[in-house]
Amino acid sequence: MITFEGAAKHYPDGTVAVAGLDLTVESGRTTVFVGPSGSGKTTSLRMVNRMVEPTSGKVLVDGRDVRSQNPAQLRRSIGYVIQQAGLFPHRTVRDNIATVPLLLGRGRGRARARAAELMDLVGLEPSQAKRYPHQLSGGQQQRVGVARALAADPPVLLMDEPFSAVDPVVRTGLQDELLRLQAELRKTVVLVTHDIDEAVRVGDRIAVFRPGGELAQYDTPERLLTHPVDDFVESFIGYDRGVRRLAFFPANHLSLREDVVLDDQDTVERALNTVDTAGEPWALVVDQRRLPLGWVAADRLRREPSGVELGRLDLTAYGHTFDVERDSLRAALDAAVLSPAGRAVGVDGDGRVLGVVSQADLGGAIWSVSG
Amino acid sequence: MNAVWDWGSGIVDWAVANWSHPGDGERGVWPLLVEHARLAYVSILIGLALALPLGLACVRWTRLYPPVLTGVNVLYAVPSIALFFLMLPYTGFSDWTAIVPLALYTLVILLPNVVDGLRQVPEHVRQAAIAMGFGPMRRLLTVETPVALPVIIAGLRVASVATISMVSVASLVGLGGLGQLILSEGFRRQFDAPIVVGIVLTVLLAFATDALLVLTQRLLTPWARRDGRRGKRRHRATVPAGEATAADAGTDPTQTADSGNGARPWTS
Repeated sequence: MITFEGAAKHYPDGTVAVAGLDLTVESGRTTVFVGPSGSGKTTSLRMVNRMVEPTSGKVLVDGRDVRSQNPAQLRRSIGYVIQQAGLFPHRTVRDNIATVPLLLGRGRGRARARAAELMDLVGLEPSQAKRYPHQLSGGQQQRVGVARALAADPPVLLMDEPFSAVDPVVRTGLQDELLRLQAELRKTVVLVTHDIDEAVRVGDRIAVFRPGGELAQYDTPERLLTHPVDDFVESFIGYDRGVRRLAFFPANHLSLREDVVLDDQDTVERALNTVDTAGEPWALVVDQRRLPLGWVAADRLRREPSGVELGRLDLTAYGHTFDVERDSLRAALDAAVLSPAGRAVGVDGDGRVLGVVSQADLGGAIWSVSG
Repeated sequence: MNAVWDWGSGIVDWAVANWSHPGDGERGVWPLLVEHARLAYVSILIGLALALPLGLACVRWTRLYPPVLTGVNVLYAVPSIALFFLMLPYTGFSDWTAIVPLALYTLVILLPNVVDGLRQVPEHVRQAAIAMGFGPMRRLLTVETPVALPVIIAGLRVASVATISMVSVASLVGLGGLGQLILSEGFRRQFDAPIVVGIVLTVLLAFATDALLVLTQRLLTPWARRDGRRGKRRHRATVPAGEATAADAGTDPTQTADSGNGARPWTS
């Protein structure tokens, strides 16, 4: 547990970086400090390992004032991941990761064995052990950065904008990796970011900082999106917070229609019967393994010879699907909005169609959860 | 054609005949070459031994750097002959008369390179080292100095070649290795064989020293070897010390100018 007790940082020129922070970071959870630049989030983070000393107030880690400990020794017991990774260019990947164990005086052999374990943990190939940082991609460098921070198995992990220097695709991958690692390791993670989407994605709790170094709101991601405390938080979260909030509701409660899902061996006649009975303007055609092939419109069916099999028709692309068990309402809504038929295709883990849901039905589901 | 050939073989004959005079009072070419190398190497090593702590201090206390750099530059403006003669009353005709001024002169190149090298250590690397729990001294010695090494060695290469060339001037005070071939044997006797031998051996010594330093850099900084196109550019860039290093690191242009100015007088 990390406790900030009125921790403040005032600079001699009168600038206030942090204006008296009172906050408790829970053990074993991921807490995100988010805010625009100049809101004191990084300064607050750095108070924890004494890279910044508060001018008043104090910071306690597990009840112990950090200033009662020697800074270098304190830092060896707290993992730190820096923006751009901050790897030592003159050391191999393996020796970068072994940094803290070596500083702690564990032998080179043990330190390197530990480095090998961590490379495996963060998804690096053993063949990369003897490479130098400049031979790695940005995403791999950041993995090494995370491995280095975890090498001495510290209970606390501080991450200062760890994923901001990589492209969006790699960033999403690294966020997933962090979620996976955290589910396994249960460290007390404090992560700083200016990206509210990242905060909502990886955080168990989110502290929103406002310019001038004040804490605006400290809440769970869901509470933050549903109940922003003021105009600043609301505008910082963004205009689409309502849609984003749907990410917290699973899609498995949606009632999917199966009747308008047709086989590619069914005939046009049979399909017309189905859509007319269902009163639906579209039908989804699937193959024998129930993988989606595409949409066909009722109007179109009326123009085709009645004996033709559906698999022989030119179908309208089905866009992207959502995984009924793993995805959220947000993903289902997104799939429906992007679909040419205005309907989302729900699939199981193997991509087999379970049913479809229209925008109107989704609207009903959203209505029922937003109370 | 024949005349050139005769002239050339005459010089080689002279060099072979005068290579060494064991037991004889007169000194041969080989002992002078050894003396030349000794004076140059000791000066460079002392220069490096001074530049490293001075550079570290200038990076640690930034306000120290401008006056120290000015001091080193002004010192360089003192003609070397004058400095050799000024040393005579204190050090006599010992090696130190040549070594002390030569070592001080190397600072004009080595100091800016040490400082630029340390300054170009990326801030995120420095911050990461602090956050990992390196103490200030350990950080300087095991992270910042190794990362600065390519820049420091680049400076060392320029300083070595320049020092090897300048040792000859010390022959005016009776030292100077190969310079003595040029001055006493050649110039005073109006005889060109010793002059040519002196020049050729000086150049060869400089070349060999430079090659040795390139090899040293390869061994000490395997991580700085970059493959691909960027690598080639970087490799070439290490030859002119000041400019290349600062430009590589993307440091601010005033620093480039500093080291550039430092390097120029040596090469002209």
